[in-house]
Amino acid sequence: MKKRNLFLFAAATAAIVLISVINGCKVPEAIASKSGAQLWAENCNRCHNAPDPLYYSDSQWDVAMEHMRVKALLTDVEVKKIATFLKASN
Amino acid sequence: MQNRYNTKLNVNHRLVTLATMVAFSCTLARAQDSTQTAENQKPDAPARRIQKMFVPGFLTTQFQYNDAKGSPSTFAFSPVGVVAFPLVKVSDRLFMDAGVQLLQSGSGATASIGELVFYYKINPYMQAFMGNFSPRYGVYLGILDDFTNRFGTGVAPVGMGHGPQNQNGIGLMGAFQTGYSKLSYQVYVANGPQMNTTDTVSPGAASSAGKISYNSSDVNNLRSVGWHIGFLPLSNSSLEMVFSGEYTPNMGDANGNLTHVDGTTMAFGLNYYHAFGPLMFRAIGEYNQTQVENTSYTYLDPVNGKTTTSFNNLQSGWFGGITLRDIGAEKTFVRSLELAARLGAYTSPTAAPWGAPQINQTTVTLTYWFTWCIPLNLEYDVLTQSGTANKNVFSTIVYFRF
Repeated sequence: MKKRNLFLFAAATAAIVLISVINGCKVPEAIASKSGAQLWAENCNRCHNAPDPLYYSDSQWDVAMEHMRVKALLTDVEVKKIATFLKASN
Repeated sequence: MQNRYNTKLNVNHRLVTLATMVAFSCTLARAQDSTQTAENQKPDAPARRIQKMFVPGFLTTQFQYNDAKGSPSTFAFSPVGVVAFPLVKVSDRLFMDAGVQLLQSGSGATASIGELVFYYKINPYMQAFMGNFSPRYGVYLGILDDFTNRFGTGVAPVGMGHGPQNQNGIGLMGAFQTGYSKLSYQVYVANGPQMNTTDTVSPGAASSAGKISYNSSDVNNLRSVGWHIGFLPLSNSSLEMVFSGEYTPNMGDANGNLTHVDGTTMAFGLNYYHAFGPLMFRAIGEYNQTQVENTSYTYLDPVNGKTTTSFNNLQSGWFGGITLRDIGAEKTFVRSLELAARLGAYTSPTAAPWGAPQINQTTVTLTYWFTWCIPLNLEYDVLTQSGTANKNVFSTIVYFRF
């Protein structure tokens, strides 16, 4: 069982490294140019429903997005863009 | 046996040391780059206080009707529970996340800490954390619970939740873009689980030897190593595939019982959503298992005295479900409805004294969303298990988020 676990872990890690190499580290323009609104719609619907920007204040959104950074494992760019969008929309 | 113990100790610490070296090497690389421009550095500006605090949370209660053939039906309102999440953003790098739970108990209440975690942002791709945390495990543990569980929580889902519970430890986490895909990760070292190695059984009860529990106190000399990898292959982040686990080289107790026994828990899951025209579709599923190395367990039976038993200590669970919501409907009432259906099962070590036949669960839930985060769940569960009467449970749950 231990050998199988190690094999599974190694296989998963190898697959992830391979995928990363194939995809490359450079962010395509189509991804880099995504707006905060688009990122909000894509990421905030995955776990819960996309939140209404009017629900919290600017200060609360600043803190809430840090909570989402660690809970939803969002990228740094996503956190900043979504926070900017939510604060501009409330 | 002593050699196997040392081997595990060395492997465990080597992995941790390697992970730590990789993490800090990234930080050192950035530091090197900054020293080359030291001549052009401006004097440090006075630090601007940006500390912010925010306390969201929710209040929940439910009504439940239970029906099983051969047993009287029961229906009752459950105790009210309140959960608050004190969140403190100390600076752009420092953040604290906590969870405090208050559950009504008669005319009083019992309080408990759900989480208490401190985060430090090392760079845009990595954060260090320390404290009492709920590890990311599979699709649900560490992230999806309470109002985000679209299948309802009236009856504990049998196929989920079988993984690392809250633990004290330290770790690294983060996410980054890889081309059109995204990767997220979490690695940690924690006190780990405790296996019940010996037991004194009460009359009429079954021994719990071999059962696993998580607590915040250290009970042995080795730590557990855990990981979570999330892969989002699609550019719109609509599909997430996860692989999580925790390896514990020493499942024994502080008295030295069964210290040579190790255990591994793993989960594979996926979470997918897509709007097909006006219809929002979601599919969520997971398989998890926990395997403890083969060993013998000794317990004190009230009838037979000292008893030794051995069994394959493997438990597994799975669930799969879909939800549908008409987000394009003209009527707000219709737009706010979401229909969910889920199948799940849990298998305990059948040869264990505490083992039982597989439990199967079928769940259908209709949710009305008052707002994006305030649901009213109408949940119906059917639980079947060989040797026991089927249970039919109807639950009404509300999560009032604030």
